[in-house]
Amino acid sequence: MNNTNLIGLSRQLVLQRELDVVANNVANITTNGFKRRSGTFSEFVMPVANADAAPAGSRSISYVSDRSSVLDLAGGAVEKTGNPLDVAIRGDGFLTVTTPAGERFTRNGALSLNERGDLVTADGYPVLSEQGPLAFTAADGAITIAGDGTVSTAQGIRGKLRIVAFDKPQALANEGKNLFSSRAAARPAGPATRLETGAIERSNVNGVTEIARMIEITRAYASLTQMMQKTDDVRRSALTRLADPTGA
Amino acid sequence: MRALNTAATGMMAQELNVQVISNNVANMRTTGFKRQRVHFQDLLYETQRRAGSPSSDQGTNVPAGIYVGSGVKSVSTPRIMGQGNLSPTEKSYDLAIRGEGFFRVQTPDGRTAYTRDGAFDLDADGRLVTAEGYLVDPGITVPNTATSVSINAQGVVTASIPGQVAPQQLGQVQLARFINKTGLESIGDNLFVETQGSGPAITGNPGAEGFGSLQQGYLEEANVNAVTEISSLIAAQRAYEMNSKVITAADQMLNATTQAFRA
Repeated sequence: MNNTNLIGLSRQLVLQRELDVVANNVANITTNGFKRRSGTFSEFVMPVANADAAPAGSRSISYVSDRSSVLDLAGGAVEKTGNPLDVAIRGDGFLTVTTPAGERFTRNGALSLNERGDLVTADGYPVLSEQGPLAFTAADGAITIAGDGTVSTAQGIRGKLRIVAFDKPQALANEGKNLFSSRAAARPAGPATRLETGAIERSNVNGVTEIARMIEITRAYASLTQMMQKTDDVRRSALTRLADPTGA
Repeated sequence: MRALNTAATGMMAQELNVQVISNNVANMRTTGFKRQRVHFQDLLYETQRRAGSPSSDQGTNVPAGIYVGSGVKSVSTPRIMGQGNLSPTEKSYDLAIRGEGFFRVQTPDGRTAYTRDGAFDLDADGRLVTAEGYLVDPGITVPNTATSVSINAQGVVTASIPGQVAPQQLGQVQLARFINKTGLESIGDNLFVETQGSGPAITGNPGAEGFGSLQQGYLEEANVNAVTEISSLIAAQRAYEMNSKVITAADQMLNATTQAFRA
């Protein structure tokens, strides 16, 4: 009898978590280089619980559990900014960034120079080239980043941005600050990955999809609540009927 | 429910976005104004199941984990220091910079400020000053007998003095540049000051290597593009609405639970 409520509850908890994921996608709809996540669910067969009243073949009870929140690595819209230090990555590459916690990867190409002339992200973390961090002086003048990541100035070629790709990009972990970390080693991105200079990759969150998903979640949640309510009503009327000594 | 807070961070971020866009639009006709934009970042993630963690003792691994993010934060509002259009004014003390560099200005509190706004004038003593009356550095004094002051592309100021055949050289306008000009701090009045992030000012003459050249009788317009700003404004407004819808949805879910089981 109680199983209905417990199964419903397992689904509700998962739905709440999925709304959290949707909320994070919507909140980051204007975050450059942001990649949305979406939930996937699996059946979790409860080994110790079963419905004894049911026919023998369908006694096992299964709950819902969330298996993963899948990273959607589709490209975001590329917006022209005209800023020479903005780069958008076309293809499946990532820029490499050094942070105090180690190497991190990002699709957010809004780069800038710091007071010493180092090429850094908005957080001040150095962006790596094939040969390490890049630094510029006043003599360098205008900085040009070519489609393959080659950085050149008035002083000639200064290096090539390190664009990496992953064999299993799904395994990337979000670190916040638009950064990803990876346990597996990165490999150089292929020649199909190109940079577009003076442009920035926006978030790949699609407002319509997220709102549709959100409505689906709230409706599913509400219908579950109703189901649980009905079960509760059944139990309550059973109690009142059975407990009524007059038998009316 | 975390979704409530997550959506609230999204609404706050879009509010800042609209503030910055409205400041850009308000300054569309401000001489030497450089537009700003907002950069956002995602906040920390709660890892409920890490990708790559073992899913059995047979060597199978979880291909994708569960990461639930907690929203968005604004990280910076850098200025886009691109060149604005030059518009002719036919005023001899109006200067526009084509390319890199800022004019140096002495503020009354003794600091050196930097500006792209070259709408200069003379004060009662014949000194070159900004629209607020702040002295341009290095100082240039125009004698009251001088006629037809001209400032060439390299910043050399010359004037014809009655009774003299050759034009007299009055001084040299200098420019300053920074390794990271987006790191400059705005103090209003079209002025910027040096910060730890901008690096020290590098001074030079206009037209020298790495510096822009001057154009007399022109002013640099704001580099705000109305179409871009309005489309960003629409996007920001829609994003704000969507975040508020998420709050409504989370509220409905909580409501469904609290209303369901009335005793």
